[in-house]
Amino acid sequence: MKVNRRNFLKISAASGLFVAGATQTKPALNAFTKSTEASSKNEPQGEWKASVCQGCTAWCAVQVYIINGRATKVRGNPHAKANHGHSCVRSHIALQQVYDPDRVKQPMKRTNPKKGRDEDPGFIPISWEEAMDTIADKIMELRDNNETHKFSVWRGRYTALNGILYGNMPKIIGSPNNVSHSSICAETEKHGRYYTEAYWGYADYDHENAFYEILWGADPIASNRQVPHTASIFGKLKDQAKIAVVDPRLSTTAAKADEWLPVIPGEDGALAIAIAHVLLTEELWYKPFVGDFKDGKNKFVEGRTVSEDDFEEIQTYGLVKWWNIALKDATPEWAAERSGIPAEQIYRVARDFGRAAPKAISFMSPGSNMVVRGGYTAQAMAALNGLVGSADTLVICGGESAPVNSWPSIDAYVDEIAEKGNNMPRADFGGRKLEMPAMNSGRPGGIKPTNTTADSILNDDPYGLKVVMSYWTNFNYSNQGSDRWDEALAKLPFMVHMTLHPAEQTHFADIILPVPHAMFERLSPVRGSNGNLYRHVHMQTGVIESPFDVKIDETEVPWMLGEALERKGFSNLIDYLRNEFRDPETGKHPENGLEFNEIATKMYTQPLWDPSIEKKGDVINGWDEFLRIGTWNSIPYRFRQKWNGNWGTETGDFEFYSETLKKALTTHAENHNTNVDKVMEATNYTARGELAFVPHYEPAYRVGDESEYPFIFSDHRSKLNREARSANCSWYQEFKDADPGDEAWDDVAKINPIDAKRLGINNGDMIKITSPTGTITVKAKLWEGTRPGVVTKCYGQGHWAYGHIASLDRKKQIARGGNNNTILAPVHEALSGSGARHGGQTRIKIEKV
Amino acid sequence: MAKNYAMTIDLQSCIGCAACSVACKNENNTDTGMNWSHHIHTTTGTFPNVKYEYIPTLCNHCDNAPCVKACPVKAMYKDDENGLTLHNADKCIGCKACMASCPYGVISYNKKDPHQYWNDQESWYDDVSATPAEIKEKIGTEVPYYNPERAFNYEAIRYRGIVEKCQMCDHRLDRGEQPYCVSRCPAEARYVGDLNDPNDKIHELLTHDHKTLREDLGTKPKVFYLRSF
Ligand code: SF4
Ligand code: SF4
Ligand code: SF4
Repeated sequence: MKVNRRNFLKISAASGLFVAGATQTKPALNAFTKSTEASSKNEPQGEWKASVCQGCTAWCAVQVYIINGRATKVRGNPHAKANHGHSCVRSHIALQQVYDPDRVKQPMKRTNPKKGRDEDPGFIPISWEEAMDTIADKIMELRDNNETHKFSVWRGRYTALNGILYGNMPKIIGSPNNVSHSSICAETEKHGRYYTEAYWGYADYDHENAFYEILWGADPIASNRQVPHTASIFGKLKDQAKIAVVDPRLSTTAAKADEWLPVIPGEDGALAIAIAHVLLTEELWYKPFVGDFKDGKNKFVEGRTVSEDDFEEIQTYGLVKWWNIALKDATPEWAAERSGIPAEQIYRVARDFGRAAPKAISFMSPGSNMVVRGGYTAQAMAALNGLVGSADTLVICGGESAPVNSWPSIDAYVDEIAEKGNNMPRADFGGRKLEMPAMNSGRPGGIKPTNTTADSILNDDPYGLKVVMSYWTNFNYSNQGSDRWDEALAKLPFMVHMTLHPAEQTHFADIILPVPHAMFERLSPVRGSNGNLYRHVHMQTGVIESPFDVKIDETEVPWMLGEALERKGFSNLIDYLRNEFRDPETGKHPENGLEFNEIATKMYTQPLWDPSIEKKGDVINGWDEFLRIGTWNSIPYRFRQKWNGNWGTETGDFEFYSETLKKALTTHAENHNTNVDKVMEATNYTARGELAFVPHYEPAYRVGDESEYPFIFSDHRSKLNREARSANCSWYQEFKDADPGDEAWDDVAKINPIDAKRLGINNGDMIKITSPTGTITVKAKLWEGTRPGVVTKCYGQGHWAYGHIASLDRKKQIARGGNNNTILAPVHEALSGSGARHGGQTRIKIEKV
Repeated sequence: MAKNYAMTIDLQSCIGCAACSVACKNENNTDTGMNWSHHIHTTTGTFPNVKYEYIPTLCNHCDNAPCVKACPVKAMYKDDENGLTLHNADKCIGCKACMASCPYGVISYNKKDPHQYWNDQESWYDDVSATPAEIKEKIGTEVPYYNPERAFNYEAIRYRGIVEKCQMCDHRLDRGEQPYCVSRCPAEARYVGDLNDPNDKIHELLTHDHKTLREDLGTKPKVFYLRSF
């Protein structure tokens, strides 16, 4: 090390010779850390350790650079084939989350029994033991009164260990009410895939072999899905393929695309249907997949019905029915009127897409179908992959298997009280209301529509929940109609919030429990969906000691709660955990929560790290090696495994006319002693008769009267959002303008300059945005990347209680920006039970303030 | 032979994500508002014919560097060994002449000592949350995610009264690694190579269309932008 002022300062200070004020430098800056960590040698000082980023549901395998026990950097895990060493910008921001002093540092309890936005909860510190005792008392009270069904677990972001706290614990206590956030995430796109090719999940795409891609609301170089992989190949993809982006706002992907189709929000279905129309009338469907007319002559002519007998299908079912019911009149000219996209552009995209068949991908994202009438839109987008024959050729709806063990049976631990509670109807509306089929894989009620839980609480429908344990959630922020949630939470008698940051939901908590940042502070398996053709299971390996007093929500908390319940005479929960879990290597049973966490993780993942268990994918030699590598990859997807009758649908074929959906809707109708038309009516769909079984156009549904609320509001995602949890990070705020149209350190509403001029609004003016549901006040940004008549705004800010950066004034509850969910209406895409936050679901008015 | 480092940024690959800028802060321990890596973005045209462009920016390590000429004490200098424009914190007198002369605005001045936030004794939310000082004390470094490796040949954290800027991660180049912004770019858009080495990949990359910022100024920048966004 050469001698310079820095060294001089270090040396003098270390030997106590430093004279304060001698220079203008900050004396202690580099020199007096616990270990000085100054380097005289130019060498890496740390070690990369495996973990998983859960900043979005790509769930990328990462590595964290650990220096003296500190997490200092993040990168993609090079062993993971889905993201091969890459991670996105959000992964780095996690460093500022985990070390954020604004996190909950210790268990707390509420002292003010009154709850409400205006009430100070009066939180005071308590021990973990007191917290567990209090919760156990509340649960025992429910058990004593035979009302265990009024217990509920709410799940936000989770790992594969969720099966204990969220899956089994409520059943042992005796409640059917485990409510996940999934329905406000992306279920409608799964609906689209399920009723065409029987796959309930996220798709993966073989971009490397694509020549044309239509991205429906998808912005995969910025936000879900599979961002790091897509980002890493995007430059090459642009050389080889044409890309069309359908999105009301100019996203980064749209900006880089060959075609931008700035659709009127919620009208994407018209485009998808018209593209299908062109593919058929211009004979661009992929014949080796779909089949052909028996005489080889194309009879798909605008406005003309075709006889089903004339066409012979190969992999598909119901093409002619679909044409006759929904496509024959859907010309690009027709679609142009509805979508706001010129007919020439629709023709061009349809033709280029068709000519690229079967190397053409229709890639849908929540923005295009988490829409009140978006179920059929999602189906249309999925059906396009059938028309061009890319289904199971370039588009993966399925994947190879990543074998894991299931949890030990709880049967012996569910007593009579619990059994009775488990058989009670659920609090959420899924399946039990005609207007909410909420079908998962064709099963009515298979989805729990998160947002209806608020209605259930507010109306005691069918009864009032009493004791809620909620982890990594923030439901009065993340659900549309957030003000309504404030009321529901205020009404809830007892709620435990297990959270990283004190958040909006925490304000209504009776007990706050600090939990680990999963990426850094706990051991857990994460079972993601596929990427880059691979299935995988990644490992979070607990790479640092938390500076906060945390316990693991999904395992340590049920363990400690089990012990507390045992002290009060109910030992079934702890007995289950003690008896049924044992280390697969040593046979040892867990003796405390941390041991339980490790043993559960080992049991779950054993097929992956035990080399004696056969599987198709990586061979890993034991648990320690698994922790070091941090991931298990399947073999790459073997395409065409669904071909020739293995599509899994009712007919076994790729369904354009969905017998699978027909069966599901009929089941739901019969459960309610009615018919499918009545289901359509109750769920806000306009379809009647056969239209209900094919992908078809539905006009956008909007809340609010156009005369009073002249603008359409369109919500979008940020490339920096760690699921709306990163607004308290300075790195997020400093680069917030990396979202096109947005501003650093702000949360702007983007308005087309034509509209702004008419309203006399200038760039930077504060404006009040009012919908029938609520009001926010934010800064106006004049921007050409949004259509006149449509105001677009990013989701993720507007936190009134989330830390010193996210919130401008904690006591006055002033947020930086505004939460879109305050103005978005609490409406659903009811077939999949999804929160419909997109598609311009609400109208708004704007006033200058 | 002495090296002559230059960077290429392929704008066709760049996804405008700012990972480079966040990574740079992470590597170089820069405080809020001090961004050695940043961006220029533009939205042009009118709806629906709109164009958005994102150009990542950093010190151009100009061959003909105005900041070097402007610095009265040779704190800003060209390193003959690697062709980089480097800043010597020890010599810097904080006169800001370099900042005034840099046409790219990539030099920052430390008006106060950085990372003072971490000395704050007040928590955001009473006993619910911690104080920054508490976390700092527990973790033991000036910033919890502090990178000590930067200290090898530059002030790892600068101080009040001096300027700072991108050093092209000369500590990483010195040990044969790419700069951190390059390594963390998820789009593989960035690369640093040696113009003096005829076998370096950079020559192949430069066969793409490329440009530099404000070539007209004669600064001879060494950050080359390939293709377009
Ligand atoms: S935020 Fe999502 S895409 Fe980015 S690294 Fe994390 S999991 Fe992957
Ligand atoms: S990290 Fe790469 S892709 Fe992202 S802005 Fe920087 S150069 Fe572009
Ligand atoms: S080369 Fe290093 S110092 Fe320069 S911008 Fe990149 S990360 Fe920052």
